[in-house]
Amino acid sequence: MDSISGFVEGPLLWAAWIVFIGGSIIRLISFFKRARQRDKVIFRHFSWKYVLLTWVRYLLPFNQTVAKNPVFSILGYIFHICLIVVPLFIIAHIMYWEESIWGWSWYSLALPDSWTPVLTWIVIGIGAVFFIRRLVRPEVRILSKPGDYLLVIVTILPFLTGFLASHTGFLTDYMRTIHIFCGELMLILIPLTKLSHYLLFFPSRMVIGIEWGRRGYAA
Amino acid sequence: MAEIDTALVKKSLDDKLSARVKMGLDICARCGLCADTCHFYRASDGNPKQVPSHKVRWLRELVKRKGQVDEDFMKEMYETVFGDCSMCRRCSLFCPFGIDIASMIAFSRSLLAEQGIMPKALAEAVENYFETGNQMAITDEDWIETIKWMEEELQDELPGATIPIDKHGAEMLYTVNAREPKFYPMDIQLAAKIFYLAGEDWTVSSKPGWDDTNLAMFAGHIKGAAHVVNLTKQRALELGVKRVAITECGHAFRSMKYESPTWLGEPHPFEVVHSVELFADYIRSGRIKIREQCFTEPATYQDPCNVSRNGGLAQQGRYLMRKLCADFRDMMPDGNGNFNYCCGGGGGFMPMAAPFRQRRLASGRVKAEQIRKTGAKVVVSPCHNCFDQIQDLAKEYDLDYRVVQFKEIIDECLIIPEELKAQD
Repeated sequence: MDSISGFVEGPLLWAAWIVFIGGSIIRLISFFKRARQRDKVIFRHFSWKYVLLTWVRYLLPFNQTVAKNPVFSILGYIFHICLIVVPLFIIAHIMYWEESIWGWSWYSLALPDSWTPVLTWIVIGIGAVFFIRRLVRPEVRILSKPGDYLLVIVTILPFLTGFLASHTGFLTDYMRTIHIFCGELMLILIPLTKLSHYLLFFPSRMVIGIEWGRRGYAA
Repeated sequence: MAEIDTALVKKSLDDKLSARVKMGLDICARCGLCADTCHFYRASDGNPKQVPSHKVRWLRELVKRKGQVDEDFMKEMYETVFGDCSMCRRCSLFCPFGIDIASMIAFSRSLLAEQGIMPKALAEAVENYFETGNQMAITDEDWIETIKWMEEELQDELPGATIPIDKHGAEMLYTVNAREPKFYPMDIQLAAKIFYLAGEDWTVSSKPGWDDTNLAMFAGHIKGAAHVVNLTKQRALELGVKRVAITECGHAFRSMKYESPTWLGEPHPFEVVHSVELFADYIRSGRIKIREQCFTEPATYQDPCNVSRNGGLAQQGRYLMRKLCADFRDMMPDGNGNFNYCCGGGGGFMPMAAPFRQRRLASGRVKAEQIRKTGAKVVVSPCHNCFDQIQDLAKEYDLDYRVVQFKEIIDECLIIPEELKAQD
């Protein structure tokens, strides 16, 4: 067991971060490299005004998509906020960063202890709703491949295992390692799958923002 | 259907798959929010096969298989990309990532066109463009004769009016839809009348390039599409005009203004304007005088996708409606302006004719219901394809209205100075 946890907390952790960061950079560069040759229209009509407008409208819930699908959209916003906030600002994680070779620390921003299980269960709960929605709504089901279901699970697992590791005694000797492994799995899969939208959201909205923008309107 | 040249499919995917299309295919979260933004989906009462994201499954699969597909695959893709999408782009307005499904469909069509797979009527139009420069194979002589005839007719009413042909150094080159000389010559006469009263310095071209339609674009025939816009561009350069004006036609405007710089590899050295913005300008600046809101029948405005959402002229169209119509009833809710629904005649459906007729009329149900709700007796639409489709919808859905272009209601409201009128 020690050797497994040593691997998960050592080499695999490094590998996960390298794939996540390196893969993300590659995704971004390969988009712009291809676009330079084949999507000249983007650069010909580039406008920070329309790019920023569309980013802001879609980072905040002030857009026609939210107006049209309020329930799903609001759940989506809450899901994504918790997804980012919990791993970054949970005290236990900040502690590890401080102990790491980087020595970074942001305790002043830490989430109160009582919040973290709540936010964690919000992620798990909304994730479950998305999973079920994918199964039962015909218009989503027809689009869904096994990978789409699996990625919901991959996304929820770090949260579920994190909760189990910190709040229960379930498989107590292994849960921490399982939790770290689940996090690593997600980090690795992000640049390799549609989860890359965490980053490609920006160029994607940039492109459509410019397309509407060159017609004189923001959307 | 001919054997598929898979090497060519692969080459096109390697050479032409754009960065945004590739990214869109990669990051689509399959959330399904695009579903009920689509008029095909709504008109089919929620048939999951009509979810926009589902319609690009063929392209996704082509990329995955690196073009190694057979005839049956291409045949099924053909049915989807020509028969289930009019490339109106409404779904992109609601996609959280702004993924441009229409570009993916257009690219899919181009992969089919390269294999010679196109709706028959569009393929014929492409041939006509290469042979005669216009979609209906009208000879230059017939075109000029029609112009002269319309000029004479117009002069019966306004003796000073002319239709200048090949006037070098004119401000504006006016281009038309080939349907006009063929079936609706009055359109040309009305445009000439408005230009005359506005004191416009304009001309038409006697040579190929006068037809501004681009059915090759719908066919996915990129070489043909580039050929068509290039003809008009050459005429504009020869005549030295500052702007090219497009008749009341949606896709002609989109192809000339927004797509052609991509096909030709460089922006135009002239401006491209649509009739809607020209007319709005004339009224706003007082270049033509009208009796405001002289048109009293209840009227609604059918936004052509390629004039409003994809042309940026939604507000200009509404400006004209309010100036001309006393009882303007917009299509509500959430179905007008940039958010309009395609009438079902877009994306080539109208010219694609018989094999697609049933699907075209069925997908128009959303529009028919919208019009019914307004209670309008007149539908104004500055697009030839909308015009025909909206007319067909009246028959199909038992509605009582007539369809007009802006030129016709402007004509009804025009104030013509006495001194310009023919004296008996």
